[in-house]
Amino acid sequence: MNTTTQSSAATKLAKADPSRCLVELRNISKAFGGVVAVDNASLNLYPGEVVALLGHNGAGKSTLMKMLAGAYPIDSGDVVIDGKPVHVRTPADAQRLGIESIYQTLALADNLDAVANLFLGRELLTRWRTLDDHRMDADARTVFKRLNKNFTNVRTPVRRLSGGQRQVVAISRAIYFNARILIMDEPTAALGPEETAMVGNLVRQLKDEGVGIFLISHDMHDVFALSDRLAVMKNGRMVGTYATQDVTEDEVLGMIIAGKQPAGKAQTQRPAR
Amino acid sequence: MNPFFQALRRASIDWRMVLMASVLIVIAVAFNAMSNGIFLSPENLYNIAQQTAVVGILATVMVLIIVTRNIDLSVGSVLGFIGVLIATLMYSYNWSWPTAALAGLAAAIAVAMYQGYLTAVVGVPSFVVTLGGLMSFRGAAFLVADGRTQPITNAFFLRLGGGYEGAIGTTASWALGLVMCAALVWWKLSQRRARRAYGVPTNAVWVDALMTAVPLVIIIGFVAAMNAYQIPNKAAPQGIPIPVIIWIAVALFVSFLVHRTRFGRYVFAMGGNPDAAALVGIPVKRVMLLLFALLATLTTIAAIVSIARLNAGTNSLGTNMELLVIAATVIGGTALAGGSGSILGSVLGALIMQSIDSGMLLLDVPIGWRYVIIGQVLIVAVVFDVVYRKATGELQ
Repeated sequence: MNTTTQSSAATKLAKADPSRCLVELRNISKAFGGVVAVDNASLNLYPGEVVALLGHNGAGKSTLMKMLAGAYPIDSGDVVIDGKPVHVRTPADAQRLGIESIYQTLALADNLDAVANLFLGRELLTRWRTLDDHRMDADARTVFKRLNKNFTNVRTPVRRLSGGQRQVVAISRAIYFNARILIMDEPTAALGPEETAMVGNLVRQLKDEGVGIFLISHDMHDVFALSDRLAVMKNGRMVGTYATQDVTEDEVLGMIIAGKQPAGKAQTQRPAR
Repeated sequence: MNPFFQALRRASIDWRMVLMASVLIVIAVAFNAMSNGIFLSPENLYNIAQQTAVVGILATVMVLIIVTRNIDLSVGSVLGFIGVLIATLMYSYNWSWPTAALAGLAAAIAVAMYQGYLTAVVGVPSFVVTLGGLMSFRGAAFLVADGRTQPITNAFFLRLGGGYEGAIGTTASWALGLVMCAALVWWKLSQRRARRAYGVPTNAVWVDALMTAVPLVIIIGFVAAMNAYQIPNKAAPQGIPIPVIIWIAVALFVSFLVHRTRFGRYVFAMGGNPDAAALVGIPVKRVMLLLFALLATLTTIAAIVSIARLNAGTNSLGTNMELLVIAATVIGGTALAGGSGSILGSVLGALIMQSIDSGMLLLDVPIGWRYVIIGQVLIVAVVFDVVYRKATGELQ
C-alpha cells in the first residue's frame, strides 16, 4: 500500500492488512413488531473493497446497514470489526468505530448551512467549549473544494443547494472524519449524470485509500461499474454473495426477483482480486 | 451588480429582522402622531419596556420549543403555580427570598422533567401534555395557597419587578449602556480578526461598521429614554428598569446558547430534520430534556418578576400568558412547522405586540376592539411568514 499518500485515512489504513476482514456481520436478525425485516443475514467486507447490496424495497438491505450504523438496535447476531466483536448501539458508537453512512434521504438538516451539516453531532469546539465556527468554516471549505471546486455557497441553508451539492455535503462527512467503513445508500439516486460520475470517482478514490464500502443501489450500471462483490437480499434473507465479475446482470435480476441462486456459480466470502 | 449591493448581499443581513424593526418604528411613529406625542414619551417607553419583560423572557425560550416542532401551552399556568408557590413560602412560611426562589426553581424543574419525559421519552405530543398542564397547573396554583392572595413585602425582591424603586438610576444605566457598546465593538472586531486568521471572507468594512453602528445607536437611545423618565414625586430619574435588564440578560444568554453552543445547534437540527438529527448521533432525548430544564429556569425567573411586579402571588397569575408568549414568538418570525426562529425576532415580536396594545390603550380603544386587533395582527404576521417563506423558496 502506498504509504506516501497525503490523506490521513490512507496513512491510518496503511497499517490495516488488506487480506484481513474489516467487517463481519454474523447471523444478524431484526424484527419490527412481528415483522421480520432481517433474518439470519451474514455478510463481510475487506479493506479497499466495494460490496454492493441489492434487493427489492423492503428486502432488508437498508435495515441491515442501519444496524451496522447504529441507527437500529440488533435483535440477534454479531458485528465483528478487525476481528473483534463490537457493540454498535448508537450512531455515535458507529462513528467511533470509523463507520460513516450516506443515506438515501441524505440525513441533512435542511435549515442549517453546509458547514453546520458537515460537523453535525461532532462540532469542533474552542477551549471554552463553544462552537469554533471559524475553524469549522475553514476546514469545511477545504473538504468541499476537494469534491467540487465550484462549491462556495457554504453558508446558505442546504435546502437551497442542488442535489449534487447536497450530496457533496453528505459525502464530505465520510471524508472529513476518515471513514474506514462507508455505507452508501442509493448515493446517486437524486443526481444528474455529471454528479453521478463524481460519486463514482470518489468511490474509486476511497477504495484506493483502503476504505471498505457497502453500496446499496438499484442501479445495475453503478453496481457493475463500482463493486467487487455483490450480495442480494430477499425477504430479509441473504440469497447469495458473488464476485461481481462472475455473474451477469440477468442472473442478478433473477436473484432479486425470484430469490434463486444462479446455477453453476460459486459464492465467495473473499474479495475478488 | 454594483459593488454596493454586492457587499450587502454577501453580508448575510437578516432582512426579515430589518423589516420587523421597520414595522416597529412605523407603529411607534404612527401611534405617536395619533396620541399627540404621548406614545414616544419617556414615561410610555419606560412602561412598554417594563410591561413587555415577562412575556419577552418567556418568548426567548418558546422560540426554541417551537423550533423543535413542539409547543408549550402550560407556560402561563406553570408561571402562576411557581409564582404563588414562591410568594406563599415567603409570606405564609417566612422563608427568605433566595430559598423560596430556589424551591420555586426546583418545583419548576420537576414540572418540566415530568412534561419533558412524557414528550421526549414516551413520545406524547407536547400539545397534549401541555394542554393537560395548562389546566392542572392552574389548579395547582389555586391549591398552593387555597386561593388566597400572598402579598410580597421584601423591599429588595419587589425591585425585581420594576415599579417605583425598580430601576437602577442614571449613572448605572449609562455605565451598563457603555459596557454593552464596548462589548459589541470588541465582538465585531474579534470576529473580523478571526475570519481573516482562518481565511474566511470578511464583510466590507462599511457594512460591518453599519451593522455595529445601528445597535450602538439603539442602545444609547434606549438608555437616554429610560434616563429621561422621572416619576413626579421622586428626586432622580429612573434609568433602566430591572425587569428589562433581566430580559436583556436572558435574551443574550439564550442567543449565546443558540449561536455558540452544541445545544443550540442541536435544537435547530432537531427541528429541521428530526430523523437526520438522530442518524448523525445527536442525543435527541437529552437535548429535549435540557431544553425543558431551560424552560423551567426561565419560567421561574419570569414568575419572580411577575409576583414582584404585582406585589403579590395570586392564583390567576399568568392566565392567558401562554397565548401572549406564543403570539410574540410567532410575530417574531418563528415558524410553527419548526426549524427556524430567532431570539432577536422574539424580542421584536414581543415589543410589536406590546406597542400595539399600549398604543391602542393610549387612544382609548375599547378592550373588545383591542383583542380583535391583536388577534388579527397575529394572523397578519403568520400570513406574512408564509408569503416570505414561499418567496425565499423555503416552502413550496
